Amino acid sequence: MNCRECVEHLYEFLDRELTPEVEREIREHLEECPPCGEQFDFEELYLKFLRARCRTQGAPAELKRRVLRELFGE
Amino acid sequence: MAESPSPPVPPPSSPVPPVDEKRASFENEALVHLDVLYRVALRLTGNPSDADDLVQETMLKAYRAWDQYEKGTNAKAWLLTILRHAFINEYRRKVRHPETVDLDAIEPFAVFAEVQDEDPQGAFFDRIVDDEVLRAIDQLPEAFRETLVLSDVEGMSYQEIAQILEVPIGTVKSRLFRARQMLQGKLYNYAVEMGYIKGTPE
Repeated sequence: MNCRECVEHLYEFLDRELTPEVEREIREHLEECPPCGEQFDFEELYLKFLRARCRTQGAPAELKRRVLRELFGE
Repeated sequence: MAESPSPPVPPPSSPVPPVDEKRASFENEALVHLDVLYRVALRLTGNPSDADDLVQETMLKAYRAWDQYEKGTNAKAWLLTILRHAFINEYRRKVRHPETVDLDAIEPFAVFAEVQDEDPQGAFFDRIVDDEVLRAIDQLPEAFRETLVLSDVEGMSYQEIAQILEVPIGTVKSRLFRARQMLQGKLYNYAVEMGYIKGTPE
């Protein structure tokens, strides 16, 4: 696998959406190719950052009460 | 052996009327996803009041259709499909202008190439606060935004996203790739403006 093919699968790899064979090919490439390895590390940190920033917000308590009231008359 | 001529009578100590069964299963499988629905609704509509209404409407529709949902399958994906249809039919025209963006014409901006010498670990990301990230997501074209939210905010698989958005998996992959790159470009530009990183804005 060359660098271009490897980077094309960047997010699929980080999202664990690849078949085990392709995943293994990418791992092998990353071990041999530090620039690709750095780029994958960077993108992995970026995705972790996104998740940490965006998953904190929940539904307001008033909305929960409103839904329960509407559905079950409470 | 003789069969009982009438159906077994439930023990009088634990009567379970069907309406309570429906309610219990709806609470266990659907209402537990209220936070997910709210976060997605907020990003789709762009404001808390419309997000409230959209979630409320989604839950009402889901409760009415609850008999059609196969229990124990993927309630989250099922609810998000209902939410998205409700958004498209009733809110999109009201809250967002129809998009004229040519998604294919958007060039990915290679942030890593810009920062690999100064900040290869992406430390500048950590200085960007939640609200700024959400604001940047809200600026993405709708097709990118909904894909990115389902993946990065809600952690859904490509298959689930394809099902909810009713597009092929290949479309999910390409939208997600470009959505993440576009968002990264916006966050990078913001970080440069704020002086978190030297760089050169796009």
